Amino acid sequence: MNTTRQSEPDMQEEAGYLPVPGAHLYTVLHRVTEPVARVLLVGPFASERQNSYLPWIRWSRYLAARRIEVLRYDYRGVGESLGQFEDMTFEDWYADLQLLADWFARRTPSLPFILHGLEIGALLAAKSFVSGVGDAMLLWSPPATANQALRSTLLRWVGLEQLLTPGAERRSASDYIRQLEQGVPVEVEGYQWSPRLWRDSFQWELPSFPEADRDSSLHQRPTKTVKLPKEAAPLVKGGFVGYDEVKNFDWLFEKDAEWIEAQAVACGECQR
Amino acid sequence: MKQSIEGRELITLGMFGAAVQGTYHRSRATNTDASERPVGILILNSLSLPRAYTGDAAVYWAESFAESGYPTFRIDLPGLGDSDGSLPADLLDFVNSGGFAGATADKVRELVERFNLSGVIIVGHCAGIIGALFAAEKSPQCQGLVLMDPYFHLKQAVRPKVRQKLSDWALHSSTGRFASNVYDQLRKFYRGLRGAKPPANANFPLLKCWKDVATTGLPILLLKAPARKATGTKPRAGEFDYLQHVLKLAGRRSQVTVKFVDGTDHSFANKAGRSAIRQHTENWLKSCFPMAGQIDRLTNPLRRENSANEMSAATTSHN
Repeated sequence: MNTTRQSEPDMQEEAGYLPVPGAHLYTVLHRVTEPVARVLLVGPFASERQNSYLPWIRWSRYLAARRIEVLRYDYRGVGESLGQFEDMTFEDWYADLQLLADWFARRTPSLPFILHGLEIGALLAAKSFVSGVGDAMLLWSPPATANQALRSTLLRWVGLEQLLTPGAERRSASDYIRQLEQGVPVEVEGYQWSPRLWRDSFQWELPSFPEADRDSSLHQRPTKTVKLPKEAAPLVKGGFVGYDEVKNFDWLFEKDAEWIEAQAVACGECQR
Repeated sequence: MKQSIEGRELITLGMFGAAVQGTYHRSRATNTDASERPVGILILNSLSLPRAYTGDAAVYWAESFAESGYPTFRIDLPGLGDSDGSLPADLLDFVNSGGFAGATADKVRELVERFNLSGVIIVGHCAGIIGALFAAEKSPQCQGLVLMDPYFHLKQAVRPKVRQKLSDWALHSSTGRFASNVYDQLRKFYRGLRGAKPPANANFPLLKCWKDVATTGLPILLLKAPARKATGTKPRAGEFDYLQHVLKLAGRRSQVTVKFVDGTDHSFANKAGRSAIRQHTENWLKSCFPMAGQIDRLTNPLRRENSANEMSAATTSHN
């Protein structure tokens, strides 16, 4: 059965499962004719996926319409990808990212390769970039640590839980944090957070890198970090379900697509 | 990249209407009669959520139903999830008015033709039940409905800030809780004066559609989640009892089964919620749509021969 879809005359979206050790990752490749660059999108964490999905895909299509080939995917154990979320670690997700980056960067023709991450995806992308992957990097709202992102998700979930729980039975965020610290898993928005995930999240920090990274022997590796404002909901937390999904994000997309195109041009010139 | 892995396949449905993306969970039944055309299950988006749902609960349900022998499909309706298409700016209004019904009916028809199914059971959650109900009305291939935590009023996309602040106050302070209880009692009194009439913000076209569909005897499983300050399937004091109202509209010949799922929330995404949904739905499927074909005459004909068939007597149950 064919899952390749023609969204515009010169664009195709190809959904598939990419095998990685022990699982299959759900990926969507936005193919374009005569691409000028490749961008690997590293999305937000587990329960943020459902909220940010529509604008995230619109962003993929926006880039594809500008002749930028895009690969987006679901983390192992999340969404359409296979695997058990509760068994996953940040190391697993990082290893998967490295495999995908390697697969995507090797596609022909050789093109400038840009890593782009949102929220926890920005931490993973930054770590990958520091390890030498990619010609440029764009980060949207990276937290200082993965724990910061987990904590804000937990707080939101506890707030919703409290709406349904009678006063005496209500538990605070610190009760759940204590539970995780005592080695007991906590189920947050349908995902089982393991004590290990919580513990490891403190170690996953945003790596420091100079604004224009000069480590590469070939050329400068530009980076851009943007803290998305509340108006960017539901790409970031906040907003209203059923209302924010159809918002116009051109104010955000246009600027950053231009930045990506500029890096692609600069990188292309360096490679020549 | 592979399009198909063990038990799952990525599909595009584009024979009728706009093309949509989906995941097909193949039936794992081993003892079915090869000549029997199975009934399929179609899980729709819950408002704007991607086809995996909150906490990927829909993936869990689809895998479970497929393991029980029912081929299951999760699709992203046009403009949602991975499917292309533009969404109207007033998405909630569009959904509330059954905007996805035509696309859903198209996909039901395509699934039946392409996968050689005897029919399709449509599963909807929250706002997704609206498209499911309107599609059931349009689609002769729809053999049943699973409606998870439905609502029958017109929801507002954006809650006024003052109202939100009042809610927060009522939740977090003892005075607020007291005031909230007084408010509930006043509303209850007012509601008593109005009688059994639905409030002005009821979704009347949806209620009419419900009546038209349920009175045909189409098997319907209605799954209810706990709500704030509510007890079981009964609403919060002062709120209109839509469940009681729709059961009355469905009439005595209907095939509506109601189950209350405790220990969960509106999403049913936690362990308790997802396993209860699985259990209730599988029990209902086995009773209304048995796989072995031995009581094939009992399934869809309920709908077609409703008036003549005494077997279609109401089996409404409250748990």
